Amino acid sequence: MGAEIIKERDGARPEGFSVHPDTSVSRLMFRRNLFGSLLALAFLLSAHGAQGEEVQTSEGCVSNYDQNKDYFPDKLKVDHAEGFEVSYHKHYKRVKVAAPWKEGGESFEYVLVQCGTPAPKGFEQAQIVTVPAKTLIVLSTTYFYFVEGLGLLDRLIGIANFKRVNSPAILKLIARKKIAEVGRNVDLNLEYTARLNPDIVMTYGTGNPYRDSYGPLMQFGIRVGVFAEYMEPTPLGRAEWIKFMALFFNREKKAALLFDNIARQYEAVKQGTKKVATRPTVFTGKSIDGTWYMSGGNSYMAAFLKDAGAHFLWSDNTSRRSLHLDFESVLKKAADADYWLNTGLWKSLAEGRAEDARYAFFAAFKAGRIYNNNALLNSEGGNDYWERGIVNPHLVLADMIKIFHPELLPDHKLEWYRPLE
Amino acid sequence: MAKPFNIAHCFISGRNRPSRAVLWGMLSFMLIFLFLLALSVGSVSIPLETTLDILMHKGEDLVLHRIIWDLRFPKIFTALLAGAALSVSGLQMQTLFRNALAGPFVLGINAGAGLGVALVVLGTGAGITLMGNAGLIAQLSLFLASILGAASVLIVVLSLSQRVQNNVTLLIVGLIFGMMVNSLVSVLIYFSEPEEIQSYLIWTFGSFRGVTWDKLAVLAPAILSGLMIALTTVKPLNALLLGETYARSMGLSLKSARRLIIMSTAILAGSVTAFCGPIGFLGIAVPHLCRGLFRTSDHRVLFPAVLLIGAALALISEIAAQLPGTQQTLPLNAITALLGGPVILWVILKRRIAVNA
Repeated sequence: MGAEIIKERDGARPEGFSVHPDTSVSRLMFRRNLFGSLLALAFLLSAHGAQGEEVQTSEGCVSNYDQNKDYFPDKLKVDHAEGFEVSYHKHYKRVKVAAPWKEGGESFEYVLVQCGTPAPKGFEQAQIVTVPAKTLIVLSTTYFYFVEGLGLLDRLIGIANFKRVNSPAILKLIARKKIAEVGRNVDLNLEYTARLNPDIVMTYGTGNPYRDSYGPLMQFGIRVGVFAEYMEPTPLGRAEWIKFMALFFNREKKAALLFDNIARQYEAVKQGTKKVATRPTVFTGKSIDGTWYMSGGNSYMAAFLKDAGAHFLWSDNTSRRSLHLDFESVLKKAADADYWLNTGLWKSLAEGRAEDARYAFFAAFKAGRIYNNNALLNSEGGNDYWERGIVNPHLVLADMIKIFHPELLPDHKLEWYRPLE
Repeated sequence: MAKPFNIAHCFISGRNRPSRAVLWGMLSFMLIFLFLLALSVGSVSIPLETTLDILMHKGEDLVLHRIIWDLRFPKIFTALLAGAALSVSGLQMQTLFRNALAGPFVLGINAGAGLGVALVVLGTGAGITLMGNAGLIAQLSLFLASILGAASVLIVVLSLSQRVQNNVTLLIVGLIFGMMVNSLVSVLIYFSEPEEIQSYLIWTFGSFRGVTWDKLAVLAPAILSGLMIALTTVKPLNALLLGETYARSMGLSLKSARRLIIMSTAILAGSVTAFCGPIGFLGIAVPHLCRGLFRTSDHRVLFPAVLLIGAALALISEIAAQLPGTQQTLPLNAITALLGGPVILWVILKRRIAVNA
C-alpha cells in the first residue's frame, strides 16, 4: 500500500502524462517529484492509524482479476437523496448525477472501476475513475464532515479556501501543511490543482460556465465529482450525499452506518412536532438592491421549516432553488409573519435597519423574532453551519424547533441559530 | 455633430407631424400617466380605488400603505431622477465629443464610479453589502467613493484633453482608461469573499428598488445640483455644435465650458451609479430619440426633452423589470438594453447609410 501511494503520487510516472497531455503541466509535474514524495511520506505516517479498521480488498487494488467475482459486496441503497443514483456491475459501479442544478440541464455520469480490474468499454460520455481514489480535493466546506466521517482526512490534499474553515480536523491539516489551498470558481488555481494531481475533485455546479469550477477541471482531464446536495428537497437527502462521496472510496458500509444514524436521529427529533397545535408563520432571506432572495418552496430549507412545526409562507411554491422576489410582494405576504430566518450576514437588528430601513416594517423585526444561522463564525466569517450543519440535520432541526416551539425542547441550546438583537 | 437624426418618421408620418407644443403636451401627459401606472402596478396588485385612498391617507391597510409610500414612491422618484440624469449627461457627452455613440459611460466615468464602489464594497473585507451596512455613513462613503472615482477618471481624461485637442482621440483615451480601471475592479473581485462578490454582481445588474427615502435624501439633491450645473452649459453646448473654432471665435471659454460639462456629468453619472448600479443604454439612446422627435439640435429644446424622455424611459424600464402581476423580477439592465439597444443600432446603421451616400 505504501509503495502504491508513492508510485501514484510520483509525477514522473508515465501514466500521469496521458491524463494531462499539456506539456507545461508535465514539466510542472516533474518539478513536483521531491515535493510529492515528501507529501507521500507524510501521508504514509498519518495514514497509518486510519487504515486499521477496514482492511479488505475494497480498500486496495486487485491483483488477480476474476471477471465472475463481485468486487463490491457492500452495496449502497439511496433512501432520501434524489440527485444521484448508483448501480453495481461486478467490478465497476455506474453513478449518475442527473440534474446538478436544474432539470433538463447538464448531467454527469461516472464509471467507478475497481483498481486492478479493466475499465469497461462503451462509456465514452462518462468519467472513468479508478476506485478507491487515493487523493481528493474538496471545493466546498459542506463536504468537510463527509470527508472526516468517512475517514478520508488522510487522502485530502486540498481545499478551496483556508480562511473560512471551522472544522478542527481540517484546521489541523492546514496547520501541519498537509493540504493545499486551490481556490474555486473564478479564482480556481487550475495549474496548482493540476500539479497536485488529485484522483478526484469534489465540487458543485450552478450552471454558470463562467463561474463553475468543474468545466476547466474536466477539460484538463481532472476527474470531478459534481455534488448537488444543495438541490435536495429534504435535509436528509442533503446529508445522504455522504454516500455519493463514499462511492469513490469504496466506503459504502461506513457511509450507510453514518447516514442511518443521522436519519434515525432526525426522525426522532421530527416526531416531536407531529402534534403541534399551532404552526407559526415564517419567511427567510433578505433583499439585495430591492430583490428578495427567498428559499424555494421545495427546498431543503422549506422541509426543515415544515419538520420544525412552522408554516413557511412560500411552501406552496415548487422551486428547489431560491426565489428572486420583489420586496413589495414579500412585505405583502410576510408583514405579519411570526418569525424571520436566515438574514445573510446580519449580526444585529441594527445592521438590518441600516441596510434598508424598510425591514423594520415586518412584525418579526419589531418583535425581535429574527434568527440568523451565523452563531458560529470564525474570524474570517466562515460559517460552521455550512460545515457541521450538513451532517447534523437533526441538530439544525432541533435549533428550529427550539425557536418555534421552545416548550418541546427545554434543554436544547441553540447551536447555529441566534436571535438578532 | 452629424446631421440631426430623424426618428420621428418611424412612428409619425411626415405630413401630419405634430407641432412642438403638441409634443410637449403629449410628453407631459405620458409622464404623468407613467407615474400613475407605476404607482398602481407592481408585484402586489392594489386596486386603483385603494391606491387613491392610500394617496389621500385614507387607507386602513398599513401594509398596502407602506407598499405605496415606502416602496413604490422612492422607486419611482429614483427612476425619474436617474433616467433624467443619465440622459442629460449623455446629451452633454455626445455634443462635447461630437460622437453619436458617446454617453456618460464611455469616458470611463462609469468605470471610475464602479471602482470607487468596488473599493468600498469589496475592499472593506467586512462583507458590507452594497446598499449600506452601517447606515448613513456607509451610504455617504459609497456615494462619495463613486463620485470621487468618476471625477478622478474625468480629471485624468480632462488633463489629457488639454494636450489632445482631438475629441475622437479623447474618446478613445476615455475608453481605454475605463478598461484599465475595470481591470482594477476585476483584481478586487478576484480577492474577495463570495458574499461580497455576490453583492457586487447584483449591483452591476442595476436597480432602482434598493433606494429608500433616506438614500433618496442624498441622491436627489446630488442629481438636482448636477442638473442645475448642466443647465448652465446649454448655451456653450449650442456653440460647440458649430465647432470648437467657431465657439472660440464667439468668445466662449472652451476650457471653463468643458470643465462645467464634465463636472456635471461626473456628479450625475457618479451619483446614479453609486445608488443604482451602472445602468446602460439610456444615456446614449435618449438624446437620439429626442433629436428625432423634436427635429432639432438646439440644446435649449433638447435639454428639457431629454430630461422628460429619459425619466419616462427609465420608468417604463422599471415597470417592465418587475413583471407586474408576478412576484418575480428581472435585472433592470436587461430591460434598458432591450429598449435602448435598437435605438443605438438604428443610429449606427443610419450613419453608415449617410456616410455611404
